[in-house]
Amino acid sequence: MVSTFHGIETAKRSLNTQTAALNTTGHNISNANTAGYSRQVVSMKASESMEAYGLNRSVVRGQMGTGVEFTAIERVRQTFLDDQYRNESSSQGGWDIRYDTLNKLETIMNEPSDTGIRKVMDNFWDAWSDLSQDPQDVTNRKIVKETTLALTDAMNQASKQLDALSSDLTSNVTLKTTEMNSLLQSVADLNGNIYKLEQIGDNPNDLRDQRDYAIDQLSKLANVQVTQLDNGYQVTVAGQVAVAGTEVTAITAAGLEAAYQGGTLTGGEVYGMILSRDKYVADYKSQMDQLANTLANGNIEITLPAGTVLPEGTVLNSGVNNTAVTYSNANNNRTLTADLKVTVQGINGLHQLGYTLSGTTPEKGGAFFTSKDGAAITAGNITLNKDIQDDPNKIASSLRVDGTGTANEKVTIGNNALALTMASLKNVKFGFNTTQAQTTTVDDFFSSIVGQLGVQTKEAERQSQNAQLLTEQVDMNRQSVSGVSLDEEMSNMIKFQHAYSAASRFMTTFDQLLDKLINGTGRVGL
Amino acid sequence: MPIRVTSGMTNMQLLSNLNRNNNNMGKMENQISTGRKLNKPSDDPVGVTYALRYRAELASNEQYKTNSDAAISWLDFTDTTMQQASDVMKRLKELTVQASSETLPQSALDSIKLEVDQLKEQMMNIGNSQLRGKYVFNGQNYDQAPYQLSATVTSYDQINPDQGAVSYAIGDQDAFRVNTSGSDFFGKSTEADNVFKVIDSLSAALTNGNSTAISSQLSSIESRFTKMQTSLSEVGARTNRVELVQSRLDERNLNLTTLQAKTEDADVASLMIQATSAQTIYEAALKSSAKIMQPSLMDFMS
Repeated sequence: MVSTFHGIETAKRSLNTQTAALNTTGHNISNANTAGYSRQVVSMKASESMEAYGLNRSVVRGQMGTGVEFTAIERVRQTFLDDQYRNESSSQGGWDIRYDTLNKLETIMNEPSDTGIRKVMDNFWDAWSDLSQDPQDVTNRKIVKETTLALTDAMNQASKQLDALSSDLTSNVTLKTTEMNSLLQSVADLNGNIYKLEQIGDNPNDLRDQRDYAIDQLSKLANVQVTQLDNGYQVTVAGQVAVAGTEVTAITAAGLEAAYQGGTLTGGEVYGMILSRDKYVADYKSQMDQLANTLANGNIEITLPAGTVLPEGTVLNSGVNNTAVTYSNANNNRTLTADLKVTVQGINGLHQLGYTLSGTTPEKGGAFFTSKDGAAITAGNITLNKDIQDDPNKIASSLRVDGTGTANEKVTIGNNALALTMASLKNVKFGFNTTQAQTTTVDDFFSSIVGQLGVQTKEAERQSQNAQLLTEQVDMNRQSVSGVSLDEEMSNMIKFQHAYSAASRFMTTFDQLLDKLINGTGRVGL
Repeated sequence: MPIRVTSGMTNMQLLSNLNRNNNNMGKMENQISTGRKLNKPSDDPVGVTYALRYRAELASNEQYKTNSDAAISWLDFTDTTMQQASDVMKRLKELTVQASSETLPQSALDSIKLEVDQLKEQMMNIGNSQLRGKYVFNGQNYDQAPYQLSATVTSYDQINPDQGAVSYAIGDQDAFRVNTSGSDFFGKSTEADNVFKVIDSLSAALTNGNSTAISSQLSSIESRFTKMQTSLSEVGARTNRVELVQSRLDERNLNLTTLQAKTEDADVASLMIQATSAQTIYEAALKSSAKIMQPSLMDFMS
């Protein structure tokens, strides 16, 4: 036997449940544009039918339904897609930064242009060629001086920009560390809150969304791994457990560097930064250093024309056995009677074979390039010898002296052999590598740097675009599952609204039914 | 699984498509406005290395052209001075022939001697010719006048001008010699037909009225004249060679510029067409986005 008011209870339950569903629909619609939000659905279930065990159990077949109730409000989400998204997002973060850095390197190299290093290098060779036309002309000497300074300035500038880029990347790693720690702290806090709410039997959907969203953001910065434990998410960043329950182990820049070295940091923006700095920027800097140092000191093979008078005491390697020969008055071999093929150490070595126009007695050329700080020559510190900067007459251009005996010797001003040889170095192969084999010209070496940069940038651009497509694709899949569809919510709304109206109508019907029973029947005693 | 399409997805898809279109247009606009398809190495890594090489070669070429112009001017100047020297030689020959006639009185010989001495002065001046401050006949010592007397050097025929080569770079391999040494043109001190030695001997013979000695100089004048003509034609030959090199450099310049343009320059016509079509696509995307974004179930509910 059912209770008189059973129907009213049933209607009430229905009203409650449909209201809850409508509220959830409203919540979904409100959060249609909230980042990280996943739609929620109310799971409804027919409530326990009313047939309690009892002594006076009915024998009628069939149980009396008691209406509806909702068991949970759950978010619709697939963990697998989350993992996939985070992997792709890490990869994209890494490639984005790499592409960005390479783009900046392209700006630093500034090629092809009329203002880049290649241009000042051309000017440098041309200036020597001009000097060879009029070696005694002080204007030409000043032009050699200025173009050399332009060349070394351009190298210094590029080196300085590379250093700046490198330290920018380092400080960005530190900045990102702060960002990561604040995200990790949020995850830990949310872990705590979620745990508490779960303990009292609640289902904290929105907090979970926030927690997942925080992890999504983290995944862009570094590779993260999430494990669901009883007390919440355990987050592993670059192989290190960073969050366990409410415990946060703060990430440090040094820790990330170590993780990069150890191979556990494999994705994300921070990975991109460290890799860009250590692989790209460091590589281009070392290549620029190599360029500068080789220009000054790299082995080159040149031919000294017959008639050349070498400075007293010059030691040169020549011949088949590459043996060292000392050229001196004592050996009576200072004046070359035939063309001589020799190996010298770069522009500096060549410059020291000639005579300057400075002073009254023949003066041997000094080092052409020097370093600003006295250390080995790099792109950062290369500069024109201070003596030459002060007195362009100290540029050696002649390979010949007239007169015999140290006192009577006089530089042959019109000899331009050294200037000619300098200008021809544009087409001479320099020894770039450590074994000092003459491998490539300075121009070609520089072109190869630019070419390499182009290839790397193009590759990074492609990868970054790919990664973006993949991330979008996975995010699309995620949205397909978890995203709020307004059309769907609207139709749900209509559904729930009608259910609510119907339940109300049912309530009214029952009301009228009881009204009839109470007020319209057997009015005994009235 | 039937795919749910949510408004967020539509949004994302539209936005990324619009971005891609916009990006494409940006790239094309950049190419059109700079007129170049190579603006950074990654635009075409291989093309860039070629472009760099063309630029470097163009720069060298320009320099070789400058150098060859200087060489031409040196050679032209040498040619002019050598012509003058030839004229002096011709006059010297005339005078010698005239003086070798035995019938001439000493007074006539004296006046011929005066002219011969003048010719010597002129020859010396030619020997000391300067082009932009350089004594062209003194080899690599072109900062000093070759023919000048001093305490130790009492006559011009003792002088041996420097024989060093003044070379200009007019090509990758060529160091091209532009100068002619006075030793080759006027004769070395050891040579019997050294022009100054001949003139001095002639002058002495004229003073003495020794007609045999006078006529014996004729052969020396002749042989020096021939040597001078050889030098002169050599200068002409060298000029021809530089002119050939110049036209080759011009041709190469044209080739390199064409190659460079092919590698670096944008094909504006085809780019404009592409850009227009890209713009049409972009506008269509915008228009359809606006249409797609708007309607939802709400619009049709009352």
